[in-house]
Amino acid sequence: MRIPKKEELIKLQAQYKTDRKIGEVLGAPAYLVAYWRRKKKILKYALPKYSFERIKELWEIHGDDLKAGRELSISKAAFYKWRRKYNLLEKPRVLKLAQLELSLPEMSKRFIRDKGMTIAQKGLSLKAGKKEIQVGEIVYVEPDLAMSHDNAGLVIRQFKEIGVSRVWNPDKIVIPLDHRAPAESEKTAEAHKSIRIFVKEQGIKNFYDIKEGICHQVVIEKGHILPGELAVGTDSHTTSYGCLGALSTGIGATEMAAVWATGKIWLRAPESIKLNLFGRLPLGVYAKDVILYIIGKLTVEGANYKSVEFYGDTVENMSVSERFTLANLSMEMGGKFAIIPFDKVTKKYLNNRAKRAYHPIYADQNAIYENEYEFELDKLEPQVACPHNVDNVKSIDEVKGIKIDQVLLGSCTNGRIDDLEIAARILKGKKAHPHTRMLVLPGSKSIYLEALKKGFIKTFLEANCVVLNPGCGPCLGAHQGILAKGEKCLATTNRNFKGRMGSNESEVYLASPATAAASAIKGEISDPREFLKR
Amino acid sequence: MLKEIKGRVWKLGDNIDTDLIYPGKCLPILDPQEMAKHALEGYDKDFPNKIQKGDIILGGSNFGCGSSREQAATSLKFAGISCVIAKSFSRIFFRNAINQGLALVQSREAYDLIEGGEILTVNYVSGEIITENRKIPFPPLPEIVMGILEDGGLIEHLKKSLKK
Repeated sequence: MRIPKKEELIKLQAQYKTDRKIGEVLGAPAYLVAYWRRKKKILKYALPKYSFERIKELWEIHGDDLKAGRELSISKAAFYKWRRKYNLLEKPRVLKLAQLELSLPEMSKRFIRDKGMTIAQKGLSLKAGKKEIQVGEIVYVEPDLAMSHDNAGLVIRQFKEIGVSRVWNPDKIVIPLDHRAPAESEKTAEAHKSIRIFVKEQGIKNFYDIKEGICHQVVIEKGHILPGELAVGTDSHTTSYGCLGALSTGIGATEMAAVWATGKIWLRAPESIKLNLFGRLPLGVYAKDVILYIIGKLTVEGANYKSVEFYGDTVENMSVSERFTLANLSMEMGGKFAIIPFDKVTKKYLNNRAKRAYHPIYADQNAIYENEYEFELDKLEPQVACPHNVDNVKSIDEVKGIKIDQVLLGSCTNGRIDDLEIAARILKGKKAHPHTRMLVLPGSKSIYLEALKKGFIKTFLEANCVVLNPGCGPCLGAHQGILAKGEKCLATTNRNFKGRMGSNESEVYLASPATAAASAIKGEISDPREFLKR
Repeated sequence: MLKEIKGRVWKLGDNIDTDLIYPGKCLPILDPQEMAKHALEGYDKDFPNKIQKGDIILGGSNFGCGSSREQAATSLKFAGISCVIAKSFSRIFFRNAINQGLALVQSREAYDLIEGGEILTVNYVSGEIITENRKIPFPPLPEIVMGILEDGGLIEHLKKSLKK
C-alpha cells in the first residue's frame, strides 16, 4: 500500500470528509488514515461541520444556545462550544424577532414541558405502557432483568416468606456468585449451596457459579441487558448497565424477593441531570479521573434520586469499558440511573452479544433537566478520592508521596482489559515496591483469559503482584486483602468509606489503574504521567 | 396503624454510610436478631449495646449512602430503633427501610433544632415531630410508601395483597 502525500490526503479529505471513507478509497483501515493524518498534522475535519457564517447567523437570530442549537439538531452545550470556537462570546446587539419570543416564555416553556422527556422518563413510560410520564410520578413496571449475587441467599429466604412457590420468570433472573467467591466461611458456603439448589428447582438457567466473574461485568458480557431495557439488581452498582444505554438501578434483597414473586416493582420517575463532557483527555488521565472529578464537584448526594445522562465528545470517544466506569461510579453521587446514550460504540460492543432485538432510547431535544453541567476536561490531572468519602477528591499533586501498604487493581469499576493493559504497561520490567502489596482482580474469566493471552498476567506476576480470581472480595472487605489498623490502600474500586476494606482505622484512596500501578512501583501515591512519558 | 413513635434521640452526622451501619464482614449473617448485634458497629463499636428499644436516630444528610445491603435497615430495626429522622436519605436505604417496616422521617429542620438525648414524639397523623418545647412539621410520605410501612414491611404488605 502506498502512503498518500499530504496534499493528496487533504484533497481526499475535502471530498470524502471522514477517515473511514478516505480509507475505503485508499484501501486502508480508518485508524491508519487517522495515523497518517496526525503524522502530517492534518485536522480531523477538512472543513468544520458548521461554518462561521452559519453559527454567526443563527446566533444573531436567536441569541440563545438552546434555540440556535435546535435549528442544527445539536444540544445547547454543543452550540455553545461552536460559538466559543468562533469567538462569538457577546450577545448579539441587534434584537431579532426570534429573540423577542424569549420574552414570552411562559406559554412556550409550558408547551415544551409537556412534550419533552428525558431518557429516564421515556424508558419508564414505555415500560409502564404510558404515552408520557411526569417527573415524580410513580409507576409499576416489570423489569427486563433481575440480578442478584451472593445475596440471593437472603433473597431466597425472603422469597420463601412471601409464600409464592415459583418465580415470575426464571429467564429474567441472573445470578452470578462473586462477592465471596470461593466461599470464605461456612456461612457463605451454606448460602451458596442454597442458591445452587434454588436455581435448579426454579429452572433459573442464568446462574453463574464462582468461576465466571463479577456480576455487573458478567451481565454486560453475556448480553443479559440491552439498550433501552430496565434492570434491577441487589447491588448498588447496578447503575453500571447505563453504559449500554439501559435504565438500571440497585434495590434491596426483600424488594428483589417481591420482584421474583410478582414480576413488578414501583419506581418513581426521577429528575434528570445532564452532564456535558468536552475535550480530549490528556496522557495519564482516564474515565476514572473524569468521574472522580465530577463527584468531587457535585458531591456524594449531588445526584441522589436522580437520573444522570452523559453527553459530549469526551463520552462519545469513550469505549464501553470507560463508560462502564462512569455509570458505575455515578452511584457514588446517589444516581438512580446513569445513562450514556446508545451510539455506534455501543452497537459494536453488542454485535455478537445481543441475542434479542433491542430498542435504544434517546432523550427528546426539548427534554427538561433539573440541571445541566459542563466539564472541560482537556487539562484534567489524575484525581484521587481520599478517605472517607468519594467526593473528597484531590488532584494527584496534593496527595502524592503518601505511603501505601496495599494497591488493589481491578473490580467492577476498573477490572477490564484496558485497565489491566495500562497497568501492565507501567509495571512491565519493574517491581512493586517491597513495602507495598499489589493485588490484581480481573473483572471476569474472559478478561482474565485475554490478559493471560496478552501477557499482562505474566507482567503482573513478574512485578510481584498477587493475581486473584475474578470477584469482589477485597473491595468490600469480605476476604482476600483485608486491611489492618493504620494501613493505607490505594484501590481502583468505587468506595473509600471508613472500614470498607477492613479495620476501622485503615484508609482507602481511590484512583485510576495507571495511578495504582505507578503508586505500587514507588510504594507511595504517585503520578502515572511520570511513567508514561515517551 | 402507624400513629405515634416516642423515643430517645441519638444524633449522628452527615453521610452515615452502609459500611458504618453494617460492616461488609457481617453480610453472611442471615438471622435478623444476630444482625442487630452489629447495628452501627462501624460508627461506634459499643453502639449495639447502647441502644434501647424505641430509640430514634437523627442523621444528617445522605443517611444510608453506599451499598444496597438491606441489612443496614434490618439491623437497626431489630436492634430496637423505632424511627430514623434525617435531613435526607440515600435512595436505596430509603426503600430498604420502608420494606423492612422501619419508619423514616425526612426533615431538613429537625437536625438543627434537636439535640442528642432529647425525648421526642413522631406523629405521622399530624405530620409533626414533637419535642418538649416545639413542633416541627415534616412532609408526608407517598401513599404507596405509607401503605407498606403501615403493614410492617413489604413482605407483610405483599402477603396481605396476595390474599385478596
